[in-house]
Amino acid sequence: MQLRRFITLIGLAALGLAFAQQQTLTLYSGRGQSLVEPLVKQFQAETGIRVQVRYGTDAQILAALQEEGSRSPADVFWANTTGALGQAASKGLLRPLGDTLLRQPVAFVPASKAWVPVTLRLRVLAYNPQKLKPEELPASILDLPRFAQERGLVGRVGWTPTYSSFQDMVAGMIALYGEGRTREWLSAMKALNPKGYASNPAMLDAIRAGEIDLGSTNHYYVVRFRRAGYNLGLHSFKDGDAGNLALVTGAGILKTSKNLVAANRFLTYLLSPKGQQYFAGTVGEYPLVKGVVADAHLLPLEEALAKSPKLDFEKLPLDQALRLLRELGIL
Amino acid sequence: MTSARRLYQLPGLLPFLVPALLTGGGVALPLLYLALRALEADPETLRDILLRPKNLELVKNTLSLLLGVLLFTTLIALPLAFLTTRTDLKGKRLFSILLTLPLAIPGYVGAYVILSATGPGGILPLPRLEGYWGALLVLSLITYPYLFLGLRAAFLGLDPSLEEAARTLGVGPLRAFFQVVFPQLFPALLSGYLVVGLHVLGDFGTVSLLRYETFSYAIYLQYSAAFDRVYAAWLALFLLLFTGGLLLLEGTFLRRLSLARTGKGSGKKARSVRLGGFTPWAYLLLLLPVLLALVLPLYALFHLASRFPREHLTGLWEALSHSAMAAIPASFLAVGMALPIAYLAVRYPSPASRFLERLGYLGYTIPPLAFALAWIFFSLKSLPFLYGTLPLLILVLAFHFLAEGLGPVRGALYQVPRRLEEAARTLGDTPARAFFRVTFPLLWRGAVAGGALAFIGAVKELPITLLLAPMGYATLATRVFSYTQEAMFAEAAPFALLIVLLSAAFVGVLLWSERRF
Repeated sequence: MQLRRFITLIGLAALGLAFAQQQTLTLYSGRGQSLVEPLVKQFQAETGIRVQVRYGTDAQILAALQEEGSRSPADVFWANTTGALGQAASKGLLRPLGDTLLRQPVAFVPASKAWVPVTLRLRVLAYNPQKLKPEELPASILDLPRFAQERGLVGRVGWTPTYSSFQDMVAGMIALYGEGRTREWLSAMKALNPKGYASNPAMLDAIRAGEIDLGSTNHYYVVRFRRAGYNLGLHSFKDGDAGNLALVTGAGILKTSKNLVAANRFLTYLLSPKGQQYFAGTVGEYPLVKGVVADAHLLPLEEALAKSPKLDFEKLPLDQALRLLRELGIL
Repeated sequence: MTSARRLYQLPGLLPFLVPALLTGGGVALPLLYLALRALEADPETLRDILLRPKNLELVKNTLSLLLGVLLFTTLIALPLAFLTTRTDLKGKRLFSILLTLPLAIPGYVGAYVILSATGPGGILPLPRLEGYWGALLVLSLITYPYLFLGLRAAFLGLDPSLEEAARTLGVGPLRAFFQVVFPQLFPALLSGYLVVGLHVLGDFGTVSLLRYETFSYAIYLQYSAAFDRVYAAWLALFLLLFTGGLLLLEGTFLRRLSLARTGKGSGKKARSVRLGGFTPWAYLLLLLPVLLALVLPLYALFHLASRFPREHLTGLWEALSHSAMAAIPASFLAVGMALPIAYLAVRYPSPASRFLERLGYLGYTIPPLAFALAWIFFSLKSLPFLYGTLPLLILVLAFHFLAEGLGPVRGALYQVPRRLEEAARTLGDTPARAFFRVTFPLLWRGAVAGGALAFIGAVKELPITLLLAPMGYATLATRVFSYTQEAMFAEAAPFALLIVLLSAAFVGVLLWSERRF
């Protein structure tokens, strides 16, 4: 009698465990916890699917996924950069996605279909508005070194060569203008004796503190500084310039995933009006589905899309960019 | 003859040998992993990697930072140790405590504070400190306590009769200090240099924020920016050459020194030096590091934390308990691993036991990210049930921070007379029994000190915790990381503050265990 009850209990527990396993989604996130957590909570409340998250940088997560190999517990990889997603796709870690999902975003769907774009950020030029006028700023990032020389800004330009978005931009320049002109540009930038920063907030803080006058960065960092009440200038180059390169964040489902249904629901949720509204409002990034009201600091989506050059982001020559940066002693 | 004797001793030593070898294996696995990844490079890439001109620059930068910090910490710690032990200053105890507390400040916090406090708009009237000088200042200010603690202990243990003998022979006070006292401080300086050196070589938080490119920074960049595990593995192996060199140097010097102290039992207390007119200057000298390395960071953190949005407060307790649940067992385990290794190295010195001990130190400068990746790789291959569990995180943290425990345990072992143990052995105890009955009760203070240091290291550690913690296990350090990643400094500040306070509590444990205050 006792024994039977015991066995029944074990059986129930096992069933419960199996059920729980089926309903638990494991998310590997290269995006920050402070940004992911609220959305995950919303998703859990609405679907009843439990989500476990491992946080790290894109690179840490990607390295961990590769070391885990076929034993990875991850279902979804949500990344900050197309570079990391492209690597994951080319290493065969991701599973092709369905067309219903891929039809949702208005742009940037990769040919490999291995991941889906979720939001858009833009490269911009941040500057000190007390020192520089918006109308005098160059129309192309290629003219930035000459402009800085003419204005006597040697030693007063910042950059973030170690930051993935900067490297993406250099890769974009190689794709648009060729390696020769990119090399010239990097050398001309080096001649400006630029200050290198490990992160964008550090660089923007240096602009605020008057240590430097300008630097190429991502739009949302400037938006955040402005929301915090700091007066920073934001300049976009002419439409289609590599200095306005779009930086796409996205997510994919791993081949090791055992919860395809839940994983698909999560990606669908990221692209749902509710999910997209969260990015456009709280986070200050551009939504990629139509009909979402953008924050007052943001441009209308059409205008934002027109800013960036049209490239296949999965085919950005990132390796070539890194080689070039190392060759010139910048990295 | 000796080898025959060793063989005869072997069964009795097994309780030390087995854990020591297991620990050595745990530290060596990441080395194996690095070699494995490094060998993935194809010959052409390899040539590019080895012959890069940038490597020379990295060597130059790393060496000059290392030497600069060693020099600077000596300049800070030596006078401070002297002032707090051998002079007639008031409040020496209080100052000793305050001067040790900077141990609790994580490097990235120190760097952040120096950046925000200097330059235009900063509260210090200094040009913005960054690059070499910034890194030198921050690293020196957070590592000098290691040297200070050792030198203090050395000053207190010094037999003043030697110095007095020199003085009666007509030698001036300064010359007496440098000719007689200084050489006796050498062992303390050396073991302090080893710890400070390991910190400088292994640090990337400080140098990356202050924009100074050393090997550890370059490794961090390759892993984080370039998705490149192969190049990063090579850089890590280069870095380990440095560490290996440092360990070799320390070992050689240490063996040449005679550690025996003369007349310890009958030594009388040293006379206090009267400072007279120098007293205000002495106080200024004591106050300066306290202000820069303790008050300033705490002020900055409190200032930032005052803007903390209240609705996030709930996460604080959870992160605090998660940090404690990982770091406290890890520090116990680290000491448990350090004990047999130190015991074998001190009681049964041989190339093998020394190698094992040096390996423990080497583990500390294997970049933590490589350490974590290695353990993902190996645990999934051999112990898959452990993967993603708290015990694995604790185990790997212990392997990594074992070096912090080794120094104090080794130091304490040197001070336990061998004769006591031998007496127990002649009464029929096995080595293990003799150790636990006689030696351990005498060295537990060293064990506590080592544990406290391991805890301080583990609680602020990041890459290992991020990758090996159970899913959704947020600690204080991972919270600081995720908020600063989004430039939300006000949100990060309370978590950083808790790291500092928790570490400060363990600095208290450390000081209490030394009981010289």
